[in-house]
Amino acid sequence: MKLRPGSACWLLRHELKLFWFRLASGKAGAPRRPKWRAIGGALLVWLGLHALVFALLHALGPAAGLPPRQFVAAVTAILLATFLFMLSSALKSSVETLFDRGDMDLLLSSPLPSRSIFTVKLAGMAFGVAALYLFFLAPFAHVGLLLGQLRWLALYPVLFAMAVLAASAAMLLTLALVRLLGARRTRVVAQVVGALAGALLFLLSQAGSLLSQGDGPAPTAIARVMASVQILDAGSVLFLPARAALGEGRAVAVVASLGLLAALLTVYSTHRFFVRGLQLAAGSERAVRRSGPVRYRFDRSLAQLVIVKEWRLMWRDPHLVSQVLLQLLYLLPLCLIVFRKNALQLPAIAGGLTMLCGSLSASLSWIILLAEDAPDLLQTAPAKAGTVRMAKLAAAVGPVLGLVALPLLWLTLRAPLPGVLTTATVCGAILSTALINLWTGRPAARGEFKNRGQRSVATRLFELSSLLAWAGLALLLPRVLGGAPVGIALAAGLGAAATVALGTLPLAWLLRYRVG
Amino acid sequence: MLASPALALTGLSKHFGRPAVDGLDLTVARGEFYALLGPNGAGKTTTLRMVAGLLAPDAGRIEVLGVDLAADPAAAKRRIAYLPDDPMLYGKLKPVEYLEFVAGLWGIDGKAAEPRARELLAWLDLDKHAHELTEGFSRGMKQKLALAGALIHDPELLILDEPLTGLDAGAARQVKDLLLSHVARGGTVILTTHILEVAERLAQRIGIIQHGRLIAQGTLDELRVATPGATLEEMFLRLTGPA
Repeated sequence: MKLRPGSACWLLRHELKLFWFRLASGKAGAPRRPKWRAIGGALLVWLGLHALVFALLHALGPAAGLPPRQFVAAVTAILLATFLFMLSSALKSSVETLFDRGDMDLLLSSPLPSRSIFTVKLAGMAFGVAALYLFFLAPFAHVGLLLGQLRWLALYPVLFAMAVLAASAAMLLTLALVRLLGARRTRVVAQVVGALAGALLFLLSQAGSLLSQGDGPAPTAIARVMASVQILDAGSVLFLPARAALGEGRAVAVVASLGLLAALLTVYSTHRFFVRGLQLAAGSERAVRRSGPVRYRFDRSLAQLVIVKEWRLMWRDPHLVSQVLLQLLYLLPLCLIVFRKNALQLPAIAGGLTMLCGSLSASLSWIILLAEDAPDLLQTAPAKAGTVRMAKLAAAVGPVLGLVALPLLWLTLRAPLPGVLTTATVCGAILSTALINLWTGRPAARGEFKNRGQRSVATRLFELSSLLAWAGLALLLPRVLGGAPVGIALAAGLGAAATVALGTLPLAWLLRYRVG
Repeated sequence: MLASPALALTGLSKHFGRPAVDGLDLTVARGEFYALLGPNGAGKTTTLRMVAGLLAPDAGRIEVLGVDLAADPAAAKRRIAYLPDDPMLYGKLKPVEYLEFVAGLWGIDGKAAEPRARELLAWLDLDKHAHELTEGFSRGMKQKLALAGALIHDPELLILDEPLTGLDAGAARQVKDLLLSHVARGGTVILTTHILEVAERLAQRIGIIQHGRLIAQGTLDELRVATPGATLEEMFLRLTGPA
């Protein structure tokens, strides 16, 4: 189809082409060579999903009559979770659009109307947000069509409408933040809000446990919401998205119209401020915050300098802060549960703390040890490489140990043996993941943080094995030392966990990566 | 006893599939301003990176101020500074924080480093930008900050790879003045540049390198002997052009 150069559709085609290049080549900024093997693998998985869905829908048969209210409530909860994840991704995209810019300077300097540019960027964001969910859910629509169960086709408009709503909400929120807080702060706040949105359901699910002081198991916030949903009328407007997803024609029309309306309103009301936001964002890096006279601190030791430098670099990088914060969000409820007065579920807490602390340490270690911004500077300096490495290691594990120290101390005071064991497994996981990164990780750029697993598969495998093993030890050790009868399965599990936990490090050291 | 040269390269070689530096012999005296010229891919940057300790030579010997780089790299590195064409900076640090870190890496005492940092920042007009992160700096400001970092430990040998690329006239003048003052105080400067006028005006001796080998070396007058009346550009093109 020949599109008029400069039209919104022409620009949209260009945007989708760029989206495909990014998807096919694995990451932004990568050369335009598609990874055909990965694409072929993904296609095979997608076809496999179709086969699975075919078996499932064939076995279920066509749905007769209206679905039960409980089922609609469950679908509503799933859609809510999906929307929050979509919002989280959309916020990340809107921040990238405003601050990382990509081709924005070229587009803004062209004679294209700002409305077209904004529309296309919004559409691109919505498409990017919907893509992942379409990958997993589109097979239902395709197989449904094949089997004559046409209601499954509703997934397409519902997912697109949700993605458009998420993209519009994210863009409006980001632009509102720019207006309220200024461009510089918006970058940090929007990324943190995005991380919070992604973890919101988890936090809600933990809120009940944290707030409850009773002895019995506390109902989670989600369980309470689900219970109250039961009294809602089946025709309630809250169930509209779920009814649309389940193929009810009128609901589909309403949801799709809502999505379209949201996008139109967003474009018409904010396209001018979008350009203004871009201009403000462009100058944000040069923004000067005068906070009194400059402090000269030339009295620090080399180790102190390295630690302070690493913490500064991380703290001032909103993208990294939001990524690390996401992990912290999952860790904090566990830390707080330790302080609850009622009975502790010790093995679960020990396992969770060990896993999450190890995972956080792995992330920080990757950032601090491997993603060095100026490796040549360190290499040309006469400073001892060992001192710099040790200081970096301390900068990586220090914050995690500091964060978890108080809960572990409290736990040890309340239940000495499990407390000491948990402390040991938490420290083991933190140090192991840090050392694995130090020994087997390959130098990388900070921007690759999210895709770090692709860069060094071996490191990720070592990390994962070590984390699982230490978490397994945290789960099983208190039982064994607490006097529980030791069966073959328990002994075997404990032996395997101990072997992997203690054996991973020497293996990682033997296979360590040597520069050059 | 004669003082050892600032830099002595003997039979230096480095191969990346093909020879990048091929048996290079080069000596730069102390207190000298030396310009290393050559077309793209001639081996200039590879040579400087080996001297800075960033690349290990395949063969040959590097002696910095009498210290064998391979035998005692820390002692050699303590006395040199290397400034690549892409400045080695941290975008999320402020200028003073960067200088604090570099001073720490070179083990400079705080009492000596602080006034030196103040002096360099003021000299390079960077004190006005002390509250800004370096990621927002222009190319010239970044280059000047990297130069301040290179000079904070007052190196005896300063090695610069294309230090004037992308600088405006004012910034280039500041950098040139700083380099000349470094030589005037007894320091040694080795730089590579594509701006032949810079080599012509600043350098006491010029070396021309091609295919990893030194094809001509000397003062401007010595180089002119072979081609009387020619400018450096004409000499350079004649020496490095197709045979």
